Amino acid sequence: MTLEMNLASTAATHLGISPQREMGAYEALWDENGASFKTIFEKLTRRPDTVPSDLVEPSRAEQYRLLVSEAMAKAKVSRYGVRVFGAGEYPGKLRDADHPIALLYYRGWWDLVNSRCVAVVGTRSPSTEGQKRARQLVKALVKDDFTIVSGLAKGIDKVAHETAIEEKGRTIAVIGTPISYAYPAENKELQERIARDFLLISQVPVKRWQNQGPKQNRIFFPERNITMSALTEGTIIVEAGETSGTLVQARHALKQGRKLFILDSCFNNPSITWPHRFADEGAIRVREYADIQRHLSPPAH
Amino acid sequence: MPTSNDTFPRLLTEIDDLTRPDHSWLGAADQCLFLGEYTARKGFSFSATNQIILNFKKAADRRGRAEWRYKEQAIAEVGQAFGTALNPAWLGAATLVPMPPSKARTDPLYDDRMVRMLRAIPAVNPLDIRELLIQGQSMAAAHDADVRPTPDTIAAGYSIDEELAAPAPTLIGIFDDVLTTGAHYVAARRVLSRRFPGAKVLGLFIARRAPETSDFSVFFEPPDDE
Repeated sequence: MTLEMNLASTAATHLGISPQREMGAYEALWDENGASFKTIFEKLTRRPDTVPSDLVEPSRAEQYRLLVSEAMAKAKVSRYGVRVFGAGEYPGKLRDADHPIALLYYRGWWDLVNSRCVAVVGTRSPSTEGQKRARQLVKALVKDDFTIVSGLAKGIDKVAHETAIEEKGRTIAVIGTPISYAYPAENKELQERIARDFLLISQVPVKRWQNQGPKQNRIFFPERNITMSALTEGTIIVEAGETSGTLVQARHALKQGRKLFILDSCFNNPSITWPHRFADEGAIRVREYADIQRHLSPPAH
Repeated sequence: MPTSNDTFPRLLTEIDDLTRPDHSWLGAADQCLFLGEYTARKGFSFSATNQIILNFKKAADRRGRAEWRYKEQAIAEVGQAFGTALNPAWLGAATLVPMPPSKARTDPLYDDRMVRMLRAIPAVNPLDIRELLIQGQSMAAAHDADVRPTPDTIAAGYSIDEELAAPAPTLIGIFDDVLTTGAHYVAARRVLSRRFPGAKVLGLFIARRAPETSDFSVFFEPPDDE
């Protein structure tokens, strides 16, 4: 009864995969009941060398491709690309995630993915001190030639991206909305700047996201944290509350074998317990910048 | 920096609406496919694709040096990769045509890597590999030229090796290493289509050149080869 049994494999019908056909198929898979990153990953890995278009009727994939093309045109996104699980230059490091994403959208300069990347993340409502620490940290990391990866949220994320740009460094934003939409709206300009001069990445399916409300779409924010962690050598948490989404990234960083750094100031905050909990599991307490430096890869020559 | 699981792609990818604007000479009717994405000026360690391309294109004046074996390895690996990626029915029906090297046969820098790669494609029955296109005289590599050649000027330098023209091919795959603007492919396609009007022609590349980070030198300095 499974649909995919009736479809010829990509290899038999086409000489190669087409990114836009895969994009349409990915969107179609997401528009099925109960679809999640987990269910789609499971479908893709049931048989080797399966790509999204192997699982969707060609006419349906084409219909969704058109919907996405229209949505992008409407949002004035003229250039974008996709990466497909099992094909092209899908980043090997994303396979360390629990359920590697089947497809991602990007705008900007893909080659940044292969640079030395570190994530700087934290609360959406940081203290003045927290913002200052984020700035100092990013300055030092840029000086060491790291690409600063963050989630383009309010607060620490925004400070991280802006400081990287001010310091003439590189930055990647992994966002929890489609690449055609900015949230919060106040970051729209920054998002466009990153898409034009750096790299903007999203795994969020455009059609599904458009069809459901903000409440259902909230799930995409922590999911992008998992991807952000997988893309980077390590995650540095500047400041975060006890229920912060940042902690999703902390948990997955350790699970994926990435370095997790927590600034000392977090440990000194008596109202939260998570820093100690993660330290027990292997997170690195950062008292000075050198504590980060010695755990990350050396610069290229 | 490639991670341990960064590998050269196993599947071919079609040039479609999402990537065609990166290759200015290609039109919607040009059917081109590639395996990896090559990132110029980033060196070997940047990605598995970069490593394969740079070894594959190692200049012929390095022959005899210890590093030469990496070129031989890359030629074998690419042959294997096309053998895996292309389905046997297509391989059995197609005439495989290497893009002619930029240097003429008599040039000391003549490099027959492409035809040797085609011969390294594993197949049950012998493949129809024909060096149908001849480069009349050595061209300056694209980056040495003052003005980048258009498909018309490139096509003017190509001729057909009539000794290999029969039987007339019906399905032609033109093989080249890196797809940049597409000018060489379009030139080759025109020359072959003119001589064999009934044949379906498509382009197969080891890699396409990826757009680079805010690197404006790309507008001034032509890519390292085509």
